[in-house]
Amino acid sequence: MSRPAAERALAVHRRLMRLGAAEPAVAEPWAERDTSVRAVEAQLARLWSNTSDDGEPVVTEKGLPHTRASVLNLIVTVPDDAAAERVVTTMLGLGFRHPSRAIVLVADPDAPGPPLDAAISAHCHDGRNATDRVCYEAVVLTVRGEAARHLSGMVAPLLIHDLPTHVWWPGDPPFADAIFDQLVEMSDRVIVDSSDFADLLVGMRRLTTLRRRSGVGDLAWRRLGWWQELTAQFFDAPRFRRYLPNLNRLAIRYAVPADGGAAASASPLAGAALYAGWIAARLTWRRYRTVGPLTDGSLRLSLEGRHEMVDLRIEAVPTDEFEPGELLSVRLRAFGETGAAEFIIERSGDEAVVATNADGMTALLRRVTMQPSTEAELLAADLVSDRHDPIYEEALRAAAVFLAAARPVEAAG
Amino acid sequence: MTTKPEAGTTRRSAPPHDGTPTSGDRNPLREGLRLERIPEPCTMVIIGATGDLAERKLAPGLYNLMLGGFLPPEFTVVGFARRDLTDQAFRDHLRAGIDQYSRNRPASAAIWESFSSSMEYQRGEFHDAAAWAELATRLQRIDRDRGTAGNRLFYLAVPSSLHPEIVRQLGAAGLASSGDVRGARRKGWSRVIVEKPFGSDLATAQTLNRQVREVFDEEQIFRIDHYLGKETVQNLSVFRFGNGLFEPIWNRRYIDSVQITVAETVGVEGRGEFYDQTGALRDIVQNHALQLMAIFAMEPPIEFRAQDLRDEKVKVLRAVKPMSPGEVAHDTVRAQYRSGWVAGEPVPAYRDEPEVAPDSETETYVALKLEIESWRWAGVPFFLRTGKALPARATEIAVQFKQAPLALFARAGAPPMEPNFLAIRVQPDEGILLRFGAKVPGPGFQIRGVNMDFRYGSSFAVDSPDAYETLILDAMMGDASLFTRDDEVERAWEILDPISAAWAAGEGGSLHFYDAGSWGPAAADEMLARDGRAWRRP
Repeated sequence: MSRPAAERALAVHRRLMRLGAAEPAVAEPWAERDTSVRAVEAQLARLWSNTSDDGEPVVTEKGLPHTRASVLNLIVTVPDDAAAERVVTTMLGLGFRHPSRAIVLVADPDAPGPPLDAAISAHCHDGRNATDRVCYEAVVLTVRGEAARHLSGMVAPLLIHDLPTHVWWPGDPPFADAIFDQLVEMSDRVIVDSSDFADLLVGMRRLTTLRRRSGVGDLAWRRLGWWQELTAQFFDAPRFRRYLPNLNRLAIRYAVPADGGAAASASPLAGAALYAGWIAARLTWRRYRTVGPLTDGSLRLSLEGRHEMVDLRIEAVPTDEFEPGELLSVRLRAFGETGAAEFIIERSGDEAVVATNADGMTALLRRVTMQPSTEAELLAADLVSDRHDPIYEEALRAAAVFLAAARPVEAAG
Repeated sequence: MTTKPEAGTTRRSAPPHDGTPTSGDRNPLREGLRLERIPEPCTMVIIGATGDLAERKLAPGLYNLMLGGFLPPEFTVVGFARRDLTDQAFRDHLRAGIDQYSRNRPASAAIWESFSSSMEYQRGEFHDAAAWAELATRLQRIDRDRGTAGNRLFYLAVPSSLHPEIVRQLGAAGLASSGDVRGARRKGWSRVIVEKPFGSDLATAQTLNRQVREVFDEEQIFRIDHYLGKETVQNLSVFRFGNGLFEPIWNRRYIDSVQITVAETVGVEGRGEFYDQTGALRDIVQNHALQLMAIFAMEPPIEFRAQDLRDEKVKVLRAVKPMSPGEVAHDTVRAQYRSGWVAGEPVPAYRDEPEVAPDSETETYVALKLEIESWRWAGVPFFLRTGKALPARATEIAVQFKQAPLALFARAGAPPMEPNFLAIRVQPDEGILLRFGAKVPGPGFQIRGVNMDFRYGSSFAVDSPDAYETLILDAMMGDASLFTRDDEVERAWEILDPISAAWAAGEGGSLHFYDAGSWGPAAADEMLARDGRAWRRP
C-alpha cells in the first residue's frame, strides 16, 4: 500500500482536471469540495444557457454559437492513478469525437473525507469542417465512503436524458464488486480492454455473461480490426477461398516485453487469443486437445477443422520494438491440389508485408500500412457503435475455451 | 522477414480439397467486418491517364482506397494515353498527384513502391486500332499474371468529344464484352465510367448515348456525377425514408415550396472557353441541381437498389412540366456577374475573364421555377438557383412549410410568424437545420425564429470518404445506384432545352447582371416575391 487513500484520490482528481487545463475551455471550470449532486446538476444547467453579456439569447443566422452535439453519455470509472493518467490522455485524444457528456468517477468506499467533490469543465473542439465547433462537458466526481457504494443514484441525475449511456472501464474491472454491477446496470454498453485484465480467462468468461442492450465493446478486439480485414482479403478471391476448409495451421506471434517484467498491459495475450477465437468461430473449428499448455504466454492446441486437424500456435515474442500485446505475424497454411498454400501477414514497423503463396503462383506480395491505433482512436471507434457484435461474442467464447484448455495443469486444479 | 511458405508441415495427409467454400460462395471471414464485401480482382484502365483528372482525383482516390484496404490485392492499373511515357514516368505522374492532392499525403515510400508495382503504362493514339489491340493483349497477360480474372474497368478521363471514338475502339478490340452480355461467353466483366458533360442538349446527348450503347450495354455504363457520390445522397434517403416523422409531411399538403441552391464563390477559374460555351444551366442545373431535386422528390423505391432508385428519379424528371417560351420569360432568370468583391478579394467582371467573349451573353447565374406535376407535388413550386461569384459556397435544399392555418398570435399583437424551414445542407457543413418559431420569454407574445441544427461533422467520428473514392469503389462492385442512367440524362435535357431555346431566340427575358459577391440579380428576388416568397440565405 503506497499513499493513504484520500491523498491518492486527490492526486487522481488533480490529474483529471488537466482535462480542463490542456484544452480550450469555453466556460470557467467549476470545482467544489464537499458538494452535492443537486449543486452539480444546477451548475450543468447553467453551463449552456446561451446568453450574451447583456443577457440576450444568442441566436445567429447559422444557429447557436456552438454546436452542442447530443449523442452519448459516457461514464468512466477510474480505479487508480495509472488508469487516471491514461484516461486523461485518451479523452484529450478524442477531440471532436468526444461524447456529449463524460462523467468520470473516482470512487473509493474506504477513503476518508467528504462524500463528494465535483468539478465541471466545458470544452469546444474544431470539427471536421472549419465551421464545426463541437462542445461537450466533463464532470469529475470523487466519491468517498458509503456514497461510493451507491454510485448509480449519484450518476443517474447527471446524465443527459434520452441518450445512450456507455460505461468505459479502463484497467482491470472489479467484476465481483457490486459497484461494477450497478454501473453496468445503468448503461447500454460496457467498454473494456481485455488486455488489461489481471486474469484473462476469468475476465473473458465474465464478459460472455454480460447482457447489455448495446453489447460489450472490447478495445483489444478493436485493435484487431485491420488484421481481420487483411486476413479476410486473402479469401475474397474465389480461387483462394477454396483453401479455407483445408487450413491446417494457424500461427500467431505477438509482442511481450523483452525484459519479461512490468508489462503495460496485464494480459498481452488477449489480442492473439481473440484473433484465434475469431478465425476458429468463423470457420467452426473445435478444440480437440492441448499440445502445449500456456507457458510464458505461448500455447499450442490441436483443433478439429472442416477437413483437417488444425495446429494452432500462439507464440509470445519478447521485444521492445512493439507495444505488448500487438500482433507481429499471422500465418495460415492449407493444402490444395498444387501443394501447400500459405497466407502471411508480417508486421514490420508501421507497415506490414502481406503475401500469398498459393496455386503454384509466385508470391503475391504487398506492403500495406499498419499504424497501430491509439487508445483514443479505439475508444472513438467504439463510441459510435451501438449494437451487439455477434462476431465478437463468438470469438470471445472461443478464446475463453482455448484459454481454459491451455491452462497449465497446476493452475487448472 | 520471411514470406515464403514454410517447408515443414505437421500433418502430411492432404486430401484434395473439394473446392467448396465453407459457407456457400461467401467469405466467412468477411462477416461482420467493416465492408461486407470488397471488389473482385480487376484492372482499371485510365484512358487519358496523363491528364489533370487522373492526377487530381483518380490517383489520390485509388491511393486512399488502397490505404483503407478497399482494393483487392490483385488490383492493377493501366494508364493509356498519347504521351510517350515509361511505366516509371507514369507512376511518378500519379505519385505527384497523391503528394499534392491526397488527404493522406505524401505517399509513404515503401507503400507506394509496393502499390505502384501494380501500375503500367501503354502509349497509344485513340484512333489507332493497333494500340487498342496491344492493350487487349496486355490485359490478358495481366489476367494471367496477377489473377485479375478478366475484370476490367475503363475510366474515360478525356473530353466527351473523344468518347465515341474510344468506345468504338474498345468494342473493336473485344474489350467491351462482359460476362454473358450480348451472348458473349467471356469470363469476367467490363465496365466503363464516363464523365459529364453528357451532351450539350437532347440531340447531342441522344447521339452520345447511342454511340456508347452500340458497344456497351446500359448496365455496363457508369455516368459519374460526383455530387451523387457525396454522403448526402444516402443521408437524404435515410432522413426521408428511415424516419417516421418526415415522410408523412413530405408532400403538397404540408410543403409550401422547395428551394435548391448550388452557390459557388469562384468565377470561371481558367475554364473561360469551356464555360462561355456552356453556361450555368448546362454546367450545373442539368446534372447536379436536377439530380438533387429528383432525389428529394422521388417516391420511396421498392428497394434501395440501382434500378429502383433510378426508376423513381426518372419518374420525377418525367413529371416536370416543360416550359413554353412565355413561361420561360416568367419563370426563369438568367444573369451574369459584373465586377465586385468576393471574400475580400476583387473579382473581375465575367466578360473580362480570359477566353470569355467581351460581349458574352452566357449566364453565370440561373434561377428557375419548376413544377412537378405528380400526385405528391402538384402545386408546390421548386425553385432552383445556381451561380458563380456568389458570397458563399453552399449547396442546400430548403423546404418551406405551409403556415399554421390561423395567425393566432397576431391577435395578441405579435408580428406575422416566419414560415418553418427545413434546410438540408449538402456542402459545406453537411447537416440538417430546422427553423421554427419560439416565444421570447417575458410578457406579451414576441416570437422569434430559432434554429435546431444538426451537423454530421459534429456527431460522427468517421470521415466521409471523398466522392470519387465512393464512386470508383461502387463501379468496381457494379453498384450503379449513384450513377446517372441514360434516360435521366435525356429527360433532364428535355426539361432544359426549351429554356435555352427561348433564351437564344430572345423570347425568354433579357440577361440580367449582378455584382460579384452579391446573392444574384434583383429579378431573381422578384420572381419569388410575386408569390409572396423569398430566397433563403444559405
